[in-house]
Amino acid sequence: MRLEIGKIPIHDVQFDSTSRIEGNILYLNQEELKAHLMVDENIKSITVEIARPGDSTRIIPVKDVIEPRVKVSGRGELFPGTLSKVETVGEGRTNVLKGTAVVTTGKIVGFQEGIIDMSGPGAEYTPFSKLVNVVVVCEPIEGIDQYTHERTLRIAGLKAAAYLGNLAKDIVAEEVETYETYSVKEGIEKFPNLPRVAYVLMLQTQGLLHDTYVYGVDMKQSLTTIIYPTELMDGAIVSGNCVSACDKNTTYHHLNNPVVEDLFKKHGKELNFVGVVITNENVYLEDKERSSDWAAKLVDFLAVDGVIISQEGFGNPDTDLIMNCKKIEAKGIKTVIITDEYAGRDGASQSLADADASADAVVTAGNANMVIELPPMEKVIGHKEVADVIAGGFSGSLKADGSITAELQVIVGATNELGYNKLSAR
Amino acid sequence: MVKEIERAGIPVVHICTVVPISQTVGANRIVPAVAIPHPLGEPSQPAQKEKEIRRKLIDKALEALATEISEQTVFE
Repeated sequence: MRLEIGKIPIHDVQFDSTSRIEGNILYLNQEELKAHLMVDENIKSITVEIARPGDSTRIIPVKDVIEPRVKVSGRGELFPGTLSKVETVGEGRTNVLKGTAVVTTGKIVGFQEGIIDMSGPGAEYTPFSKLVNVVVVCEPIEGIDQYTHERTLRIAGLKAAAYLGNLAKDIVAEEVETYETYSVKEGIEKFPNLPRVAYVLMLQTQGLLHDTYVYGVDMKQSLTTIIYPTELMDGAIVSGNCVSACDKNTTYHHLNNPVVEDLFKKHGKELNFVGVVITNENVYLEDKERSSDWAAKLVDFLAVDGVIISQEGFGNPDTDLIMNCKKIEAKGIKTVIITDEYAGRDGASQSLADADASADAVVTAGNANMVIELPPMEKVIGHKEVADVIAGGFSGSLKADGSITAELQVIVGATNELGYNKLSAR
Repeated sequence: MVKEIERAGIPVVHICTVVPISQTVGANRIVPAVAIPHPLGEPSQPAQKEKEIRRKLIDKALEALATEISEQTVFE
């Protein structure tokens, strides 16, 4: 399967009477975008704001971050099964608006949404402070249940991203990158001497607003399965998560998975990147046993020499991570795991809830319990008072002057376990 | 908590969904629970059935508490 990604750099977003892209500027008719989203009867109001790098702006509580993209050629549309019809994606060409993203906020859905600061110390911890963000503030109607609220925001974000992406449908990108995955037979013939490497991508599926959707399927109801890496780039995997902000994979992360990017960079040179195994993190022990059995079975079936495993979230998913690692290693396949740590505010406690001697190659994305101070911002988009209740915050987190003292957990993407962040440790 | 209470000389049964974590932290008597969000309940079942499930788990835990063991034991 072969996909070309056309990169269209966006240097700024400005409100205008006509939505269009001209000279690397995205002009946005916000009334048109609002009308496009307001068709959902569960939405009471929409406002659209622009947050630029360096602005004294805080976005809280952040539900999702989505990169605008559009299919130029090839089967299907962006976000199949969730926003568009179910059809296999991942081939042809997709245009991407680089440098911008849709950020969704509004009344809090769960208690585990996060913060993006566009400047100051908080901005250093999140990759999304470097983007020009189109912030969609989406307020639901009264009396809506949490699940409907979550779905409403999820779909509104995807719709907004698809709306912006569509503006780039006819643009011929100057920079085009090609990604290609070969069939098992082709791969072995082409690269007989290169080690075969697979990627086991663990998806957050604990339920109770901790869910991930694959082609519209709630992943907690699926067995472990195989997906082409380019399908991720077309939005086959969508975040429906209200889970700790620092280490949840937003939809933006799934579209721009750095493990996939880096494996493709070495593909055909140092290794043969054979594909992605997606698996879940369910709350029943027998699900954990079954899914990790399947992960080990599928990578064994693919006849790989090595596997990279990334986790999403923390706590009991540490057990899924260790089961995957242990069972794959038991097949004689080398593994590297990517995780983050909840080692206490002083970093002295045990980092993971589970462990095994076979987990001897570990990459960490940082300690989420570290306490940080976020100075007040001139502008807050969303609802600042939730700083006291989001995961990583506590009663008294929000000070009268608007500053926040909280654990690093509150920052979107700060300890992302795909490695889409700057923190690590030796 | 399991370890600290045992250190004080009182035997403990850990009712726990994720048995491997319980084993890693060093609990000695482990009774597998239902699921992480509802260790002693099963909301998919009618209330009477759920009560039976809960009763069985507690009975098993009490039985485990009174059982002599020489190593980490999972009471399935």
